[in-house]
Amino acid sequence: MPEWAYAVASDAGLTPRALFAVLQARLWAQRRIVFCSCAAAFVAGLVQPSGYAAPVFLCSLLGIASALAQSPGIHPHLDRGEQSAPLFGRELARAKALVPCLAAALAALIYAGAQLLRGAPDVPLTLLVAIAAVIAATLTALCATIRSGTARVFYIILAANTSAAAYALVVAGRSLLAELAFCGVVAFFALRQYGEALARYDPI
Amino acid sequence: MPLLRMRNATFASGTTFVGPVSLELSQGEHTALHCGGAQEAAIVALLATGIVKASSGCVLIDDYDPHVQSVHCKRIAGLVPHEPFLLDESEFDRYVAYRAALWGIELRRAQTHAALLRRRLSGMHESFAYPLIATLIGMPRLIVLDRPQPAYAPLIFGVVGRRGVLSTHTDASAARAFCPSGPTQLQATQA
Repeated sequence: MPEWAYAVASDAGLTPRALFAVLQARLWAQRRIVFCSCAAAFVAGLVQPSGYAAPVFLCSLLGIASALAQSPGIHPHLDRGEQSAPLFGRELARAKALVPCLAAALAALIYAGAQLLRGAPDVPLTLLVAIAAVIAATLTALCATIRSGTARVFYIILAANTSAAAYALVVAGRSLLAELAFCGVVAFFALRQYGEALARYDPI
Repeated sequence: MPLLRMRNATFASGTTFVGPVSLELSQGEHTALHCGGAQEAAIVALLATGIVKASSGCVLIDDYDPHVQSVHCKRIAGLVPHEPFLLDESEFDRYVAYRAALWGIELRRAQTHAALLRRRLSGMHESFAYPLIATLIGMPRLIVLDRPQPAYAPLIFGVVGRRGVLSTHTDASAARAFCPSGPTQLQATQA
């Protein structure tokens, strides 16, 4: 191994600066989607009666849309930069996963803000339930972005079912802890799966 | 020690098959590959930078294997894609900051380097100059150009300095512009 390589090896990895750069670049490139998501969440928060259905399903849908906006080819200059950057697949996966999760969590937060404005009860609890479901659904949908055909459809359906299962646990099962645990486990495995797939991904 | 070594490197995925490609490129050398088609040229360029992994054969970038040490390979080899960047000036400044962060380069140094390169590439259209500048600010030792414009060959060689340069082409005259001693003809691609 050449001596030069040791200097490279020591600074290899995802620094907070690189993480923030990916986040900032992708959020800026998708600012219209983020703005529309937030606007939709605000309007829904103002007109919807209190309950878990609207925040969980609407914000999950917005999260799935934000996740699919990370698909290769939509912003080719960012794709090429990330593919050729000296980062491991799992590191890049973490950075890219943060983008739709943040956009969807922001939509959930704005929905909760709108609910607060109209004086709805249990807003913090609704926000907690919604954010957990949204993050799990968004991370599952991310796995669809680097797949095509049936596999892509499968992951999108899986993402929709994730939010449905989270809703069922909290409403029918009346267990907030079970919903949080379910969403945590799904999010962990979805992010892991996305990282593994991104590491093996060939942009052909 | 060669900067890039490809030995019977092939890429196969579905109906796509490229190769075998064999070449050696050292620091300061320029090699042009004449490929059979645009997709083949793009895949060879991606193979040479370690972004795409060879299905069979061997690709070594400064003796690092992209299958195992992809991060090291990406530090050494920089890809200049064929597709022009459709960015305006303000967006490009933001893009330089983004690339500098991904490569762990001090922002001010990257901005100064980009400004210098823009002056030296003033005769080149921004859409083609931006990808080259974005690659060069990462300080790669090997530059891989995917189907570059032959008209810009003198300008490109003016800024790459002592780096090794591999370019892929679909046109023989374009390949000659990047390697006057004669481009290497890639073997026929099997379907």
